Amino acid sequence: MDTLLLARLQFATTTSIHFLFVAVTLGLVTLLVGLQTAWVITDKPVYERLTRFWGQLYVINYVLGIATGIVMEFQFGLNWSGLSRYVGNVFGAPLAIETLVAFFLESTFLGMWIFGWHRLRRGVHLALLWGVAITAYASAFWIMVANSWLQNPVGYEVRDGVAHLTDFSALLDNPTFRVAFGHVVTAALLVGGMLMAAVSAWHLLRRTDDFALHRKGLRIGLITSAVAIFFVQGFGFAQFFAISDVQPTKFGDDPAAAPLIADWTARFGPGDYTPPALADVGLGFMILIGFTLGMLWLMLPLLWRDWVIRLRVPLRILQFALPLPFVALILGWIAREVGRQPWAAYGLLPVEKAVSPVSPWLMLTSLTGFSLLLGALAVTNWVLLARHAARGAEDPALGRRPDQPPVDPQPEPAFA
Amino acid sequence: MELAWYALLGLFFAVYLVLGGYDYGVGLLLARHTDPARRRAALNAVGPFFLGNEVWLVAAVGILFGAFPVLEGELLAGFYPAVLGALTGVVLVTAGVQLRSRPDGQRARAWWDRVVVVGSVLAALGWGAVLAGLLQGVPLRADGHVAGVSHLFTPFVAAAGLAVVALVALHGATFLTLRLPAADAAPVGLIAARLVPVALTAVGAAAVLGLLSADVRAAARQPVVAVLLLSLLVAALLTARAALARRRPGLAFAATCASLALPVVLAGATIWPYALVSTVDPGASLTVADAAASTPTLRLLGWVTLPLLPALLGFQAMCWWVFRGRTDGRAPVYW
Repeated sequence: MDTLLLARLQFATTTSIHFLFVAVTLGLVTLLVGLQTAWVITDKPVYERLTRFWGQLYVINYVLGIATGIVMEFQFGLNWSGLSRYVGNVFGAPLAIETLVAFFLESTFLGMWIFGWHRLRRGVHLALLWGVAITAYASAFWIMVANSWLQNPVGYEVRDGVAHLTDFSALLDNPTFRVAFGHVVTAALLVGGMLMAAVSAWHLLRRTDDFALHRKGLRIGLITSAVAIFFVQGFGFAQFFAISDVQPTKFGDDPAAAPLIADWTARFGPGDYTPPALADVGLGFMILIGFTLGMLWLMLPLLWRDWVIRLRVPLRILQFALPLPFVALILGWIAREVGRQPWAAYGLLPVEKAVSPVSPWLMLTSLTGFSLLLGALAVTNWVLLARHAARGAEDPALGRRPDQPPVDPQPEPAFA
Repeated sequence: MELAWYALLGLFFAVYLVLGGYDYGVGLLLARHTDPARRRAALNAVGPFFLGNEVWLVAAVGILFGAFPVLEGELLAGFYPAVLGALTGVVLVTAGVQLRSRPDGQRARAWWDRVVVVGSVLAALGWGAVLAGLLQGVPLRADGHVAGVSHLFTPFVAAAGLAVVALVALHGATFLTLRLPAADAAPVGLIAARLVPVALTAVGAAAVLGLLSADVRAAARQPVVAVLLLSLLVAALLTARAALARRRPGLAFAATCASLALPVVLAGATIWPYALVSTVDPGASLTVADAAASTPTLRLLGWVTLPLLPALLGFQAMCWWVFRGRTDGRAPVYW
């Protein structure tokens, strides 16, 4: 057994689960900010109820974002101690900034937001949600700065085999950063919008109560995802230019790849410097999904006179299309990350030098343990999300009046 | 500059143990109650603080990675099993507390509560083991890597892990005494009072095993400070006992807070100026200065984060202020 392979598998598993949840977090919080702001401004009950309903789903989803995020953070030290040893001076900085400046505040604000209903003034309560959203974006920003540095290390010099920071602004100016950040953020918005549209479509198809509320949810979700897919495609294709400049080996047949590989062979010894084919295949599927979702625009005219609801077929399509953005999300991430192989930091630190020198058995224990744990939590979380989504906006626990007793369940009848 | 960052790292980790400590303590005490309403009341006493508590851990590891990258790699990889346990515990508690009230069935909730209990034990044990591992030194070789993980399996590490479990349980009970409605607080106060001798015994056992361990004695570079801090820890526990007996939960809580912050200071100060003491090759020991990131990185982190530190502390303080006092019928119930 190979410690390196196990460590890579663990990174892939944790990152993928993490990404599925944080994308929803980022997308939904943006929509929630809109909903709660609309409520505070217009004072219409429908916005309050939408905020509570979607806020509840957002908060349930958030749990797995943190749980996997903590594992991610520790994983760098546990499994990739070479990464901190050789490039920690540069790569560690954006990560440290993310935890202190972004995540620290995000979670603090969210705790106050969850428990602040009916207790804080409405303006303060709204400001807290804005705080959550702004810090969530800041979080995505710094994580993408860090990841982009691994894709294309800049702003450093190597002394005694260790990278030292020379120019921090180069990290922010990294060509693999800005477009990718736009791509990820709009993809998150697409996921959030699609989720809102699909759940609302489910309710409208079943003609559950709250027609007005779910109609509003459908419209907001549909418009958001239609606008978002446009930008997702734009940012996505714009990345190809940046990538072929700085990562010629990423997508195969680039003429600039051969001299670069020759240079690496001279410096790091002979080896396989082309990423596995997996990255390319995934990319093709992702682009296909991207084009398919581009047809969301066709549904926008149907918003007129609620034809999108009356025809019913569009609702079914939205429902069945919900997994697509999630699949695309994972495939895109695989293309970006696997395409960086065999490097932990592109052209600077090979993965075998970055992996921790721990025994394969320990690594296997950790891989199995965390994959099972996080996998089980992810499935449980989705089941809970689906149940709460299906239950509708009747009385979410989030934002329930304190004087209204919590509907604590009746004791279950024992089987006689 | 390294010293300032090391102190900041210690501060964040100590505050995490203090704040996260009562999360885990309350989590542990769920095992004592079978009444769903009381379990729920206990969790919602932690309520608004829960998410803001564990961010201190994430921030501490962020500082560790940004400001002490070499230490980060060797510390986490070198204490792999302990960190693995603690991390599993943190994940279980995070998910358990936030999700336990989402299903409606009483049985599902009881199942989640068990997850919280197990997670709390693992987290406390794991962090106790990490602190003990620091005090006892690691097999750090000249190539800069820690060899193997078997060094963790000693009586001292086990005793220290159990001592932190006891401290956390006492801390959680004291927190509930301070925070639950007055009528419910009295019985929890009794539990807290009964936990003080347990904590004292556990700390005493860990101290004795530490003194008996040749590795711990060899690794201690500042033995006087160690003894002083250990006495402070005992004094804090005795203060908690006296305060609980006189029904002054505020003072008792301050004392148990100190009892969880002191082990961090103890571990950091005893092996100073080292961050990791090598048990196999004295020359391979890693000093705090050597473990730190290079100056440009530290300067950058300083410029970006220090101006924001007042905001971080301010918003945390806002949370404590807004939700201060005992819980009552007006408090939202969500966990």
